[in-house]
Amino acid sequence: MNAIEVNQVAKRYGKVQALQDVSFSVRKGELFGVIGPDGAGKTSLYRILCSLLLPDEGSVRVEGYDVIQQMKEVRKRVGYMPGKFSLYQDLTVEENLHFFATLFGTTVEDNYDAIKAIYSQIEPFKDRKAGALSGGMKQKLALCCALVHKPSVLFLDEPTTGVDPVSRKELWDILSLLKKREITIVASTPYLDEVRRCERVAFLSEGKIRGIGSPEKILHEFSDIFSPPNLEHDEKHDNNKVGSTTENVIEVEHLVKAFGTFHAVDDISFTVRKGEIFGFLGANGAGKTTAMHMLTGLNQPTSGTGRVVGYDIRTDYEQIKKHIGYMSQKFSLYEDLTVAENIRLFAGIYGMDDKEIKHKTNALLQRLNFSEHRDSLVSSLPLGWKQKLAFSVSIFHSPGIVFLDEPTGGVDPATRRQFWELIYDAAQRGITVFVTTHYMDEAEYCDRISIMVDGKIKALGTPTELKQKFNKPDIDQVFTYLARQAKRSSD
Amino acid sequence: MTLKYLLRKEFTQIRRNPFLPRLIVMFPIMIMCIMPWVMNMEVKNVVVDVVDNDRSTLSQQLVHEIAANNYFSFHGQQPSYTAALNDIEHSEADIVVVIPQHYSRDLTLGNKPQVLIAANAVNGTKGSIGSVYLSQMVTTNAVPTLQALQTNVSTFYLFNRQLNYKRYMIPALFAIIMMMITGFLPTLNIVGEKEAGTIEQINVTPVNKWTFILAKLIPYWLIAFFVITVCLLLSWALYDITPVGNVALIYLLAMLLALFFSSFGLIISNYSDTMQQAILVMWFFVVILLLLSGLFTPTRSMPAAAYLTTYANPVSYFIDAIRTVFIRGGNLKSILHQVLALLGIGLVMGCWAVQSYKKNH
Repeated sequence: MNAIEVNQVAKRYGKVQALQDVSFSVRKGELFGVIGPDGAGKTSLYRILCSLLLPDEGSVRVEGYDVIQQMKEVRKRVGYMPGKFSLYQDLTVEENLHFFATLFGTTVEDNYDAIKAIYSQIEPFKDRKAGALSGGMKQKLALCCALVHKPSVLFLDEPTTGVDPVSRKELWDILSLLKKREITIVASTPYLDEVRRCERVAFLSEGKIRGIGSPEKILHEFSDIFSPPNLEHDEKHDNNKVGSTTENVIEVEHLVKAFGTFHAVDDISFTVRKGEIFGFLGANGAGKTTAMHMLTGLNQPTSGTGRVVGYDIRTDYEQIKKHIGYMSQKFSLYEDLTVAENIRLFAGIYGMDDKEIKHKTNALLQRLNFSEHRDSLVSSLPLGWKQKLAFSVSIFHSPGIVFLDEPTGGVDPATRRQFWELIYDAAQRGITVFVTTHYMDEAEYCDRISIMVDGKIKALGTPTELKQKFNKPDIDQVFTYLARQAKRSSD
Repeated sequence: MTLKYLLRKEFTQIRRNPFLPRLIVMFPIMIMCIMPWVMNMEVKNVVVDVVDNDRSTLSQQLVHEIAANNYFSFHGQQPSYTAALNDIEHSEADIVVVIPQHYSRDLTLGNKPQVLIAANAVNGTKGSIGSVYLSQMVTTNAVPTLQALQTNVSTFYLFNRQLNYKRYMIPALFAIIMMMITGFLPTLNIVGEKEAGTIEQINVTPVNKWTFILAKLIPYWLIAFFVITVCLLLSWALYDITPVGNVALIYLLAMLLALFFSSFGLIISNYSDTMQQAILVMWFFVVILLLLSGLFTPTRSMPAAAYLTTYANPVSYFIDAIRTVFIRGGNLKSILHQVLALLGIGLVMGCWAVQSYKKNH
């Protein structure tokens, strides 16, 4: 018997056709992947499967129950983990778990066996507020809450977006464990290594299913989207840099940021040369964002010294701000302004005049092939475009260095590749790029990388050097090796 | 220079907001159309029960007079005081008038009959004013000549001849409207950017703190200017009430109050992490400022400690000054004290708003 049967489902919101003629079935105990770009209709599909949303057409049966007529039966049997963190941030880990258990009329004690494997990992922090957990821990807690009533079907909507590689692996190990218990799992993910761990995947794009099959088959069939050719590490670009290697854009010595007794950043020292692409890696909560905030003049260091584009980060932070670009982790353009208005605002803040702004805006939009969206509200753009735009705005005033904090979170591989083309383009023009990322394939694109663990830099060098030093085939494994040594597991 | 771009952004955002433009237009209209009728402290429609133990022509005359009076709503005659009291207990009547037996006879004989007026004083104002009205009526009914006597005492009401309550309340309503529009909207502004994450992007730019805060404040001052104009026009069109004093002074006062409230809103916004927190804190202060301002109750009759707080309460200065200008026609000299106080408080708040906005922690 199939655990899930979806038959010609369609859903539209006003003019937007979110889902169209979607049909597939999932066997009992199968690990089924739903993949596709942002805005493909994945979340709508999940909501229909969980009986949260009514389909316009078609029928859906979960565990043999119709999601429209037998909603109650369906809800007893499914666990849903939405894309956004959906727990109560002000309740502790334990309180959250008990609350969700009570909702389903059961207790944590009754079902402790069902969640033991996962919960034992976060149990040491059971008195901590959920909002204070790191990304990976939050997801584990959310998974516990979704499992506490022993569902037979589990829906996971991008459970690993914004989670570091080590935590991601742990989460998927847990999913394999659940599979052994005959739990049917439907999960979506932008990560290719996770796609490969599914038994079958469905590729959803623009509301339609383009293909269903084994991961290898789908990834091969749609290779233009999933495995775009690797970026060439441009020789010319490397050569350019050689001439200017002596000049440092960032010089940091013994930098510390302490919050009370907790050292978020614990004595780090490094330099970034002009024109290079510097990858700043680390697990969730390792102190990357805090370090970046100090370099961009958002935070004061507790001790240590640092110079960015020649200015002291303790005293001349307002000067630094004139010469850097920044793209924050949270998407940070104004959603209620149009593309052109956003560009004009930030350009104006950096002191450009109307004529120059107009000229450069036209040039930029043409280069991005985006002129027809000049007057569209930013909120109406797809995520990938927003991020490309945010990056372009952050380097619009030709800064000496640009800081990018997880710029490609939650974006499909093809868009990520396009994004990196923009980064290479900027580097060509002599802009130093300082970037954090959770995608290890992106780390390979960098000229040099550093890996932060527990507030300290544990490794620093070119990707090739690091692979040799730790004797691992790729950066992913180097990272995993180092991050597993972490003592503190949460920020 | 940067200011131009920031201002353009703020105005575009306000205009694009699906809710704000409507609020800015509708709120003053609603308040001005409804509140002058509602915020009225005249006592009307006091429900009266009469127990007439005399049943004479004279006593019936008194009953008819009560029944015909606008201020009273005649609930009916009751057989006994106990029955009437029962009505009060069920909140069906506010006042009971008991006319004694032999009322008519005693009056004619020149004895002094005792009419009992029992008022429900849960609402003190209603009880006391109602019973004063009633005793006046009873007295004139008993001794008609007294009415003639009263005309020798002449009362002369200055500035508000008709004792029109609306004339008194409308300037105070301006304070409430300013408080809502220029207090709450800026409060939501910066904290909204915090929640959206855009503030971080602004903080890494070289934008000057003063410029940024000024760009946040100016739109609300212009909105305040617009709102006050709407209020003045409505007050003239709906109630035929126009300020006696110089209109420019009214604008001056309104702008000073806007300076205070917009700065105050931004301060709260700067210290808050979420909209919910900001709104609750703002609400807390607004209620206190309003109750201690003398808008509803005269400040002089407050306890000494509470009265002292009015020295630091800009709303109190505003209401005092605007009533002076609006009703009495006072000039700048007569409100100079309040203007300086408002300016002082406003400037301090403005500096605090800039100071509390931190681009670097």
